[in-house]
Amino acid sequence: MMKKILILASLSLLTSCLDISAVMLYGGPGEYNFTNASLDAIDHVDESKIHRLQTFSDQDTIEILYIGDYSQIESDTIILFLHGNVPSMDSYWSTIAHIANLGEQHRYGVMMYDYRGYGKSTGTSTDETSLASDYESVMSWLKDQGLESDRLIVFANSIGSLTAGPAAAGGSLIPIEKLIMEVPQSSSAIIMQSSTGLSLPSSMLTIFEFDLAVDMSNYPAELLWMHGELDATAPFNDAASAMRSHEGSYFEEAIYPSAGHGLRWDIGNEEWDRVLLNFILK
Amino acid sequence: MFEVYSMIDFVNELFTMKLRILFWVLISALFASCAPTRVVAPLEKGVTQIGVTLGRPRVNDGSLPLVGIYFAKGLSDVKTFYAGAQLTSLYLGTIQLDGGVVKKIIAPNIMIPGVSWSYGANSFISSRDGAFRLYPETGVNAYWKIGPHILNISANTWVDPTWFLSDYNKGRILSPSFGAGYRFRYKWIELQAEYKLLNPTREMHIPQAYIPSTNGLGGKGWYWGAALNF
Repeated sequence: MMKKILILASLSLLTSCLDISAVMLYGGPGEYNFTNASLDAIDHVDESKIHRLQTFSDQDTIEILYIGDYSQIESDTIILFLHGNVPSMDSYWSTIAHIANLGEQHRYGVMMYDYRGYGKSTGTSTDETSLASDYESVMSWLKDQGLESDRLIVFANSIGSLTAGPAAAGGSLIPIEKLIMEVPQSSSAIIMQSSTGLSLPSSMLTIFEFDLAVDMSNYPAELLWMHGELDATAPFNDAASAMRSHEGSYFEEAIYPSAGHGLRWDIGNEEWDRVLLNFILK
Repeated sequence: MFEVYSMIDFVNELFTMKLRILFWVLISALFASCAPTRVVAPLEKGVTQIGVTLGRPRVNDGSLPLVGIYFAKGLSDVKTFYAGAQLTSLYLGTIQLDGGVVKKIIAPNIMIPGVSWSYGANSFISSRDGAFRLYPETGVNAYWKIGPHILNISANTWVDPTWFLSDYNKGRILSPSFGAGYRFRYKWIELQAEYKLLNPTREMHIPQAYIPSTNGLGGKGWYWGAALNF
């Protein structure tokens, strides 16, 4: 018996510290060339309303992009966009410019930031703790500018849902009353189990555990969920199980049988805008 | 302009997906069936075998490198004990061990294949939080032994007694695999090659990655091994 314990203990010592969250949450360079030159004409913004700023999350600098007037923050609706797993927010420049012009030009102030290690934000994203800290630093800045709960909309795309979920479930300095989940993930466990075919917990490979079903069941306010059934990056059925756990004050889902993870491109701007505006103005 | 930007964005997304694939590929390092069938034809009594294995289940255009080591010993002429460890899992922080017994049921002759039956278990222990899973397994092998050449076809299944712990009721009790292989066992050396179909009863899914499957079900790949006999 002692021999077996010693063998097991020896193997424990041999285990590596490699955690796959370090691979999953690994950003890349960002150029931050936020101009109209790369935008479709309908998405053009007043370039005087494009602002870059920084906050600090623990010891790291978080790069923020804001489209709008600073004065809007204390009186108007602000959409905080949590981007997907790309090297930097460069990839979502056209998306937030488009959101800024939903309905009419510069109807909403829109903010987006790079998580640690993405773009020019320093440091390394590791798990829910670092994501929450980054979010908190941005939210703190918005609160200082006068943003209040009834004028905040959080819009999470793909892996941005991993930040939005815990925030919506009570982890937001400014409580979230309207949440948009576009092609969200589901849980770290289901990703593990769908990949291996076994009932393995995600802790076999990572300390990063997330479960959007639990988050949504603890989120009391309004939720819009948008998803394509052909999504291979955030599987539809898994996301459905997570999002439909929501029991808050309002739930709306927009499901598209022939759309994939690039939802806006697949369904077109007209439909995308329609669903978003209906929810925002509801 | 919109179309042009859409294309730029799409290409960007594809590029990003390639970066991310490493994550999803690492996730699948804990596939059921990480190695060739440990022992197909039981060893002679007293013979000890130690070996290394390389599982190569296919993902995207490549194959995973699932490296393992094992030990086997002939307890009698009809019964062999084996035990192994997966080094790739160890690298990722999981202690993955397996062990079991292979029993000869029918001795092979020129006309009739030998048949062996195996039973054992696979354990996973997380070095992060001590989470533990145990998956019993059983299998049957038919093999033809012609001099140093051993040909086999094998069917095996892992049993998941904790299937109910899977999220969203997605657990399955059985995770079967089927293989066909060749072994060259001569004096102190044994070389192994086996092609396996993994979990062909369910859809396997790795986000941002493609698993070559059989009619949309399971995975597949080549498994290799080399061993020394004492």
